[in-house]
Amino acid sequence: MRQEMLRRYISFGLLAALVLAFSLTSEFFFTSNNIYNLLRESSIVGILAIGITMTIITGGNDLSCGALLGLDAMVISRLLYVNEANVWIAITAALAVSLLGGLFNGFLVAILRIPDFIATLSSKFVFSGLTLMFAIRSATGMITTKTLSDPTIKWFGGKLDFGLYYVTIAFFALAILSQFLLKNTRLGVHTYAIGSNRNSAELSGISYIKTKFAAFVMSGFCAFVGSLFFLGKIRAADTESGIGMEFQAISAAVIGGCAFTGGRGDVVGTVIGVLFLKVLENGVLKFNLSTEMQKVLTGSVIVIMLVFDAAYNKYMQAKTSKSAVIAREKREKKVGAQ
Amino acid sequence: MKKIIALMLIMLLAFSFAACGGSDNGGGSGSDGSQAEGIFRDPKKNPYSDELKIAWIPSDAPAANCVAWGAGIERELSYWSNVTFNTFDGERDAEKQSSIIQDLIVQEYDAIILQPYVSSTVAVAVEDAEAAGIPVICINIDADSPHSALVAMTDYEAGYAIGVEMAESVGGEGNFVVIQATPGATRGENLEEGFQAAIANYPGITILDEQTGEWNSEKANAVMTDFLTKYDSIDGVFCHNDQMAEGAATAVQTAGRLGEMSIWGANGEAKALEYIEQGLMTGTVYTDCYDQGATAARLAMMFIGGNLDTSQFTQTLQIKMPPIVVTSENVASITEDMRW
Repeated sequence: MRQEMLRRYISFGLLAALVLAFSLTSEFFFTSNNIYNLLRESSIVGILAIGITMTIITGGNDLSCGALLGLDAMVISRLLYVNEANVWIAITAALAVSLLGGLFNGFLVAILRIPDFIATLSSKFVFSGLTLMFAIRSATGMITTKTLSDPTIKWFGGKLDFGLYYVTIAFFALAILSQFLLKNTRLGVHTYAIGSNRNSAELSGISYIKTKFAAFVMSGFCAFVGSLFFLGKIRAADTESGIGMEFQAISAAVIGGCAFTGGRGDVVGTVIGVLFLKVLENGVLKFNLSTEMQKVLTGSVIVIMLVFDAAYNKYMQAKTSKSAVIAREKREKKVGAQ
Repeated sequence: MKKIIALMLIMLLAFSFAACGGSDNGGGSGSDGSQAEGIFRDPKKNPYSDELKIAWIPSDAPAANCVAWGAGIERELSYWSNVTFNTFDGERDAEKQSSIIQDLIVQEYDAIILQPYVSSTVAVAVEDAEAAGIPVICINIDADSPHSALVAMTDYEAGYAIGVEMAESVGGEGNFVVIQATPGATRGENLEEGFQAAIANYPGITILDEQTGEWNSEKANAVMTDFLTKYDSIDGVFCHNDQMAEGAATAVQTAGRLGEMSIWGANGEAKALEYIEQGLMTGTVYTDCYDQGATAARLAMMFIGGNLDTSQFTQTLQIKMPPIVVTSENVASITEDMRW
């Protein structure tokens, strides 16, 4: 636990250092408008990353959540624009699609025992295909996109009087609830147990199937929440909406301390990871750099962060093994003395 | 599992209450339009002496046409030492373009030149930029919300012209295939509409198949290879851009069926013009992208220094670049300095 906290402090310290560096170098960075904007940009990816954190802690992954977000957005757009449905019916339909999507992933992984990576990569294609099927078409049959004017959808893109966007409130609320779920409930314990050592967990009576289903349903739900705010912000869905966002979310979770091997990480770490990525992305835009340099700089900082993470893990593993050896020697000495 | 469901219900209820409670604020913003204060305002800056920042947001910075537009803008703005010009790559991501615009508003840019990836997905951000007093000039593809100006390649007209050329070349009777843009791309949609409108005048023409090549040469090559195995008689191929036409031409050449059909692209990039010279492609519609970029830059300077309040525009001003149909007969007239 102390190791986890130490890593948390270091991650937070690096985030703070990045914020400080950008604040000192750009007059536009540490302004209220930019901070609210930055938080808004972090929030949709952050919401997806919360769901992904759940699946990564179980030792899996979810490559389909970005496409599922796009599918949800397309379902809402189509129902509102083409079918002129009530907005709440459209939203409920998207929720149903999302939960079914999560259950579908759970079925592939937990029941059919297909590895998460392949299962969710395949379902990503299924969801993208469904997005194309639901897409709005022009008179000539070509796929087109339409801007939505529904006030409820607009509301999701809104903000409080002082500038904080609703999506940011939703992101932090979902993060707090998910962190609580992970750290203070039996489901959270099961999630970590399955990710740390599946066989031991199953021998202790923890259901792999239920835990995996729960993680994917949660990820599907996060995709749904993300889609509402995505539509609020963009007010239109295109056939590529959400696709690729899962990679940002996965990067954020990994930067925040999640391990692909499972059993490690939490939502607080992921929130720090998302903020780190978005602060970097936002800050780099302020430097008047060429497009190439913007990409090189962003990539380099992420690589440095990941190198640090790898070195830190190696160091901690070595330290843990050393402590184990010392403890064993002590125990053996004690037994010998007796 | 029960806890997850409970958690979701709490979140849903919270959103529902918040959405119902907040809809007055959100919906109310639309009524501001009725209080337009007139279309004139005092110019904020002198574009030829005050320090200015102008941004260029292409949909895909490395693409040949985006490079040419950027070069045209930069060339024009480089005459003015007071202007700082920056490029921000949209990375073929509609949401990314929208995020960049929001950031440029915070950075108080003086004008934005934008080539939207998708018209509708940048509409809100463009509206916000105009409301913040930043004129937005779109290149090629229009944003769905009214803004300062659009400098467009002709797309509907280009599609129409290509349709006519192709149909006439086979005497109004034949089988065509189409390799389309990425689904949902506005330019592809417009080109297709123009092409279909022209083909509708030739009842002897059959469109055998239409598949997306996703703006991509390799994908178009695979699609064309598939068409060639499926159909024995193809008289013409229309691709929504030159890159796809180049990929299709390579597939036709590999299959040894080059003389059987006409191959058309759109845009007029340098490689396509070379392919026309080499007899691999039949034609394209050329646009001078350097000039198009320079025109957008001049418009940006004009709006910065002008007294028009572009946020009050209910319609976007439009300039269309002339479409030049290029075949082996006139390809030499597109000189080296015009190629991109």
